Amino acid sequence: MHETALVRNLLATVGQAIDVHHIKKVNRVVISAGKLANVLPDALIFAFEAMTQDGPMKGAELEIRSVPAVARCDDCGYEYQADGFPIVCPVCKSNGFRIISGEEVYIESIEYEE
Amino acid sequence: MAELEIWEDLFSQNNRKAAENRNVFKSHGIYVINMMGSPGSGKTTLLENILPKLGAHLRTAVIEGDLATQNDALRIEKTGITALQINTDGACHLESEMIEKQLSMLDLNSLDLIIIENVGNLVCPASFDLGEDMRMVVLSVAEGKDKPVKYPTAFLNADTVVITKTDLVPYVDVDVDVMKRYIAGINPKAVVFETAKKDGAYMSDQLVGYIIDQAGRKKGV
Repeated sequence: MHETALVRNLLATVGQAIDVHHIKKVNRVVISAGKLANVLPDALIFAFEAMTQDGPMKGAELEIRSVPAVARCDDCGYEYQADGFPIVCPVCKSNGFRIISGEEVYIESIEYEE
Repeated sequence: MAELEIWEDLFSQNNRKAAENRNVFKSHGIYVINMMGSPGSGKTTLLENILPKLGAHLRTAVIEGDLATQNDALRIEKTGITALQINTDGACHLESEMIEKQLSMLDLNSLDLIIIENVGNLVCPASFDLGEDMRMVVLSVAEGKDKPVKYPTAFLNADTVVITKTDLVPYVDVDVDVMKRYIAGINPKAVVFETAKKDGAYMSDQLVGYIIDQAGRKKGV
């Protein structure tokens, strides 16, 4: 439940892009959220709407794409989707792993009116 | 309609500051622990008990994170260890920038160890790197044996897990070995310790020894 902190960072980053490209109105912001990032889409959208009541992002839609957790096996190097716990390599059955994606929340792109 | 690609991690701002903190800690040879766990898991009690033992070997300071009050810093200062209090005013976790601000209030040249007690919360702190060397999750037996699988992300990146209040096992119907198996299922690399109160004394010597050893290794590098 740190959605306001994430939206604050989102507004700062998109705000920079708005300034650099002289954008008047943003229609859509697309982000990808890793399965392990503890992001609640509804709470994120609620915070986004509450924090964009004016300015170029007012009324913009926030699209959240879910990104699976991917682990790399410590023993055989195989990369696999880590859907649940315990995380076990489907090839060699090792339980040693490193998470290589699924913990991040990326702003992918924005759509805006020219 | 036009599209602009951005591709920036929303945690990047926090991660950048965390990297700066990590450099500061490294240049001063300070070992840093980020301690997280639910409210009531026993984080502050653990600190009250291990700090006098740690303080005999390592010059130590504590940074306390809570939503409100100075209570925890005051508790820590009674052990004779310097404690700074961060009040997050409602925020559910500490961020690297909050730690950076505290560092100017510490004499970093005369420290070997900083322990950061994060806001009591088993979800959000896990996503925010503070620049620490050790991520410690504190978990009491009273929280239930399957807590690790219910809150996996905190355990996923933990270096150490401290199971507290094991003297309560007879009253809470928890099998510590099963709890450990759940932890190993999520993170087999985590080093697990147990603490308990026994005959009025707090048993934590293994954990204390481990921290002194780890901090010494960093100093030696």
